[in-house]
Amino acid sequence: MTAPATGTRPAGTSPHGRVAGPVTPARSRLTARATPYVFLLPGMALFIGLMLYPMVQAFRMSLYEWNILPGAVSQFVGLANYGRAFDDPVFWTALVNSTVYMLVTVPTQMALGMGIAVLLNQAIRGRVAFRVLFYLPVVTSWVVVSLLFKYLFNSQAGLVNYVLVDLLGVLGSPVAWLQNRWTALATISLLGIWKGMGWSMLIFLAGLQGIPADLLEAAEVDGASTARRFFAITLPLLRPVVVFVTIMLVIGGFNVFISVFLITGGGPANQTEVLLTQMYEQAFSFLDFGYGAAIAYLLTALIFGLSFIQMRWFDYGEETAA
Amino acid sequence: MNTTRWGLLVTLLFVAAACAGGGDSTTAASEPDTPTVQASEPAAPEEQEAAEPSAEPEEAGGDPVTVTYWHAYNEEGPEAQALNEVVIPRFEEENPNVTVEAVAFPYDDLRQKLITSTAGGTLPCLVRSDIIWVPELAELGVLVALDQQMTDFDELASRTYEGTLATNLWDGSYYGLPLDTNTRVLMYNQEALDAAGLSEPPATFVDLQALADGLAEDEAFAFADNGTSGWNMLPWIWSAGGALTDEDITQATGYLNSPESAAAVEMLVDLHGAGEIPDLILGADGGIATSEGLPKATYATILDGPWMFPIFEGQYPDFELQTALMPEGPGGSVSVVGGEDIVLTQSCEQPEAAMDVIRFMLSDFAQTEMARVGQMPVLSDLGDQLTDIQPYYAIFAEQLQTARPRTPHPQYPKIEEVMSTEIQRAFRGEVSVQEALDSAAEQIDQILTSS
Amino acid sequence: MTRARPATKVLVYAVLLVGAAITITPFVSMVSTSFKPQAFVLELPPQLIPEEPTVGNYTRAWTSNGFARYFLNSAIIAAAHVIGVLGLGSMMAYAFARFEFVGKKVMFYALIITLMIPGMMLIIPQFLLARDLSLIDTRLGLVLFYIAAQLAFVTFLLRGFFESVPRELEEAMRVDGAGAWRIYWNLMLPLSRPALATAGIFAFLFAWDEFIWALTIINDPDLRTLPIGIALFQGQHATAWGLVFAASIIAITPVLIVFVVFQRHFVSGLQAGAVKG
Repeated sequence: MTAPATGTRPAGTSPHGRVAGPVTPARSRLTARATPYVFLLPGMALFIGLMLYPMVQAFRMSLYEWNILPGAVSQFVGLANYGRAFDDPVFWTALVNSTVYMLVTVPTQMALGMGIAVLLNQAIRGRVAFRVLFYLPVVTSWVVVSLLFKYLFNSQAGLVNYVLVDLLGVLGSPVAWLQNRWTALATISLLGIWKGMGWSMLIFLAGLQGIPADLLEAAEVDGASTARRFFAITLPLLRPVVVFVTIMLVIGGFNVFISVFLITGGGPANQTEVLLTQMYEQAFSFLDFGYGAAIAYLLTALIFGLSFIQMRWFDYGEETAA
Repeated sequence: MNTTRWGLLVTLLFVAAACAGGGDSTTAASEPDTPTVQASEPAAPEEQEAAEPSAEPEEAGGDPVTVTYWHAYNEEGPEAQALNEVVIPRFEEENPNVTVEAVAFPYDDLRQKLITSTAGGTLPCLVRSDIIWVPELAELGVLVALDQQMTDFDELASRTYEGTLATNLWDGSYYGLPLDTNTRVLMYNQEALDAAGLSEPPATFVDLQALADGLAEDEAFAFADNGTSGWNMLPWIWSAGGALTDEDITQATGYLNSPESAAAVEMLVDLHGAGEIPDLILGADGGIATSEGLPKATYATILDGPWMFPIFEGQYPDFELQTALMPEGPGGSVSVVGGEDIVLTQSCEQPEAAMDVIRFMLSDFAQTEMARVGQMPVLSDLGDQLTDIQPYYAIFAEQLQTARPRTPHPQYPKIEEVMSTEIQRAFRGEVSVQEALDSAAEQIDQILTSS
Repeated sequence: MTRARPATKVLVYAVLLVGAAITITPFVSMVSTSFKPQAFVLELPPQLIPEEPTVGNYTRAWTSNGFARYFLNSAIIAAAHVIGVLGLGSMMAYAFARFEFVGKKVMFYALIITLMIPGMMLIIPQFLLARDLSLIDTRLGLVLFYIAAQLAFVTFLLRGFFESVPRELEEAMRVDGAGAWRIYWNLMLPLSRPALATAGIFAFLFAWDEFIWALTIINDPDLRTLPIGIALFQGQHATAWGLVFAASIIAITPVLIVFVVFQRHFVSGLQAGAVKG
């Protein structure tokens, strides 16, 4: 908040203190105090009822050896499901894989998305066509693109090996992309980058639109180079948007699921398991919903911790949430 | 002014909500006199209804009832067409007061749908369930034990293949009846066999080794399969005389890691090591599927089910698919039973009508009609009728005489996961076959004792 | 929007074209496959132009059981979702961006946390809730949960943009006697058109693509949405790739139309002009 709260007035009313106008001060203060809640009420009601409440229920699940039958008695096990994860080698493999996926895909998507957004924010011909093109992977369903990549990266008959081995001769023999841990993760990461690039491009583009053109023009007149204008004006102004995209992509990176589920299914021998495929398997294949929920909450705690650090890092929380 | 704007927004939202809700009222209205089974009218408890065993099967003038039935027949294919346009209409004609509401779900997602509905107590009356889910659902207590509720259960059951019927058994009761069945037989490409100088498909494990030796290095793979699950590995283990567990399903040590089981896995691991089985067997796909490799003579032999006939016919019209029994080992030629069972859930409020549907689905009429579209009948006594419909059913019927079901146990998905993962490690050369099986047996023992 | 010099323009085009070419390659393979009859789908070496092109997959997808109906259902649900989530989300975003109030921090973090929990894990509790609210097998059940699921994201996104609207404009309106609602409606929303358009595109896409929840609560075939319809094309033992790809391409089309329509609102200079005036 830019306007500092003054002395005796409760902090909550500071932006509105000045609006008093003809209404009596007491009443104005009351309305002013109520206003934000009125704006929040319908949304928060829906959100608390349909999201937060089920989240609490899912957390309760994680404390039980949960029986899915309605009315059945589940055994309370405290934090045993959480403890179990730390002794489970598959959990650690999954954690490492999820982390690697996040670390590879997030910066790449941000850089490419920002690059394309900057290029497409210029008065060039075919702007809309390019936007549509780069946005295409975003709108195609995960299921379809996952199957498509599986098909392209087929070790014996895929287009990728065909191009690399037969056409370009870069590789001597076909690569079994999906049958080794790191090549499979590389394939899945590539899919993530390809599919997600257009998403960050779009948000950055919307953010760039909000930057007053005269600011940049003034800097150009002053002789600032393109790079300098980008780093000195554009990027600082985009900071809230960049932080938003970073946080969302980190969340999305750790939540990678469908692509792994459909491309390798976590195999071979659990080598490419990520946290959500493991969670899904525990819950829906083995009906171990307690353990599945515990994995989900460990993941949530991890992401929350990271997001919190990011917000502190960028002073985001201070400026906007406080 | 402010209030007007606010009002406008609220109105907009209401319009949106009304649009969204509108559809329901129309659909509900279009079927006024068919109360669904989920309707909350109080129903007589299961036991009471069963106490008067179908004394009045076609209660004339009885209230019209609806039986819901979930399945995963391919909705765009002939299967669902046969069900919806031939089988169900005939049933409804014979049972005028019963409406069957059959709903298709995507095959890969039916399990998740069933589990969620189990938690919500909103399962339909009848489900066409994969045979390996039945013990699990029975253990959860959501299924009705048919042998205790249907007076004519034994009569119906006696006509079905033994191995298929066994998939419905859990804890001494039968919780369903087989609906369709299949098994894996050896499918081969004669062209590839010719290259190895063989005129006959491998009939034994030894023949398979000979086929591998006969094929030059850059020629076809001797055999291909796409994973190490029970469906893939158990035919070899059983045919070698091995097993996954003892008969009472209490332990795996001494069975999965017996010399017989190990020999079967060792043979496959060696063939893979020698380049005669492609990496496809490591699971995770990523190679040429067996359904493409066989007709293209990349793979000389595969194991697969009757559905491959229409698939090859559609995709490779020039390929002549040939079949033989599963290669014989020291334990015989033993394949694995696949297919679906039909089960009745505890949520059903029309169990009598639903049982009539089950009876009808096991009738000669329904079974032969579904056989025409590739659903292999479960009635072992159909004989000529079966081969008249599809000559290729003959080999499957023969193989089914000895085929076994995968271990009917509620924890089967977990057991299979352990076995599959450990065997994959052997294929990848991380551990020896014996080490892999010892480790798998030990883990499976733990699962069996803890449940 | 900035104007580029001719020399840089060439470079810009070169980079964009190369990027676009890489982006589109997997699609070319998909489109090409959708015009192939089943027997040619997995040909090696891969054929770019189908030997015997056919539109059979498209006609079969469109005319198959209820596909047109699923399409309509998806359109209704996506439209209701976009209106609902933008309306509620922008109101919340405004409150978070411009007011100080008790419980702000708590509410904000509660919203963010729900973005982080894997949605799959909420399926069972949400399903039980939907059952108790009689929302099973209703379109309302889809829309309400979609709005709830995306509210945090939309609020979070819009708040960032609302923050960047210069406060001077608000002060000017306030001096003229405008209240919070008028500022929200006449100032914040119009000035945030690119952001609303972005959120609208994402919201539409979300509802259009959502699979698991629709699978979970919809039993009535008449209420099915498009993703379920496409999944039904994938058979148990073999997938008709051409058909699945054709159906997917049909499904992508409306999203692209929405995209083109909404992104027109990415008009530049609005704020700059407003600040000056």
